[in-house]
Amino acid sequence: MPPKPKKFICTFCRSKVDHIDYKDAATLAQYITYYRSIQSRFHTGICLKHQKRLSNAIKKARFMGLLPFVRYEK
Amino acid sequence: MKKYELMAIIANDLDEKKAVSQVKESLADKITEQKGSVTFEDFWGAKGFAYKIHGQKWGYYVVLQFELDPENLSELEREWNIDPKVVRFLVSKVDPRAGDPVTQAERVKEMEAQKKEDEIAEMEAETKKAASVKKAKSEDAASKTEEKDSEGKKDAVDKKLDQILDDASLDL
Repeated sequence: MPPKPKKFICTFCRSKVDHIDYKDAATLAQYITYYRSIQSRFHTGICLKHQKRLSNAIKKARFMGLLPFVRYEK
Repeated sequence: MKKYELMAIIANDLDEKKAVSQVKESLADKITEQKGSVTFEDFWGAKGFAYKIHGQKWGYYVVLQFELDPENLSELEREWNIDPKVVRFLVSKVDPRAGDPVTQAERVKEMEAQKKEDEIAEMEAETKKAASVKKAKSEDAASKTEEKDSEGKKDAVDKKLDQILDDASLDL
């Protein structure tokens, strides 16, 4: 038998966060990749409800210059 | 009346005092002009952008919460789009799930406190680990001494047996 895959628990569910704030850039920055794209749910283990809210928050933060769109800029 | 939240970037060709007065002039006053009321105001101060906006690298951030009739919002947005001192703005509905509005200074403080707590917890965990390792080591040593003791006892019993067997006075 191969070892069972590790079960992820949504970090927002665990800390009982209901509303994800787009102004809190430090928390949002944990969920973007090396090239500054939004990290997929597959890798972070976040539930669908929170992933939708998180991605909206990241997009708002990007528009206001709190988070980058891309890693490299000309 | 609906609750809205506005985040705006003020142009960086002003100094900080002028930027604060500019916020009042071009944001708060215009909201009250449209029969709205500002319920929360938080001036973040100068902050760098994650990327260049209109060739600029930084600006003054401000967050306002206000109540307004939805019909008047489009007029406000039109004015802010024209205003050269408002570099960029974002109006969003206040999430009913969100609690009381928090200022940026409080948010930063909370984050730092959380970091310290985490560090302390980590340190405690490490010391506990070290203590448990020490305990395990001492237990190992104790068990070894016990083994030695039992070996010594065995030797003693063997000797006694030999003595008894060697004793010629006993008829077996």
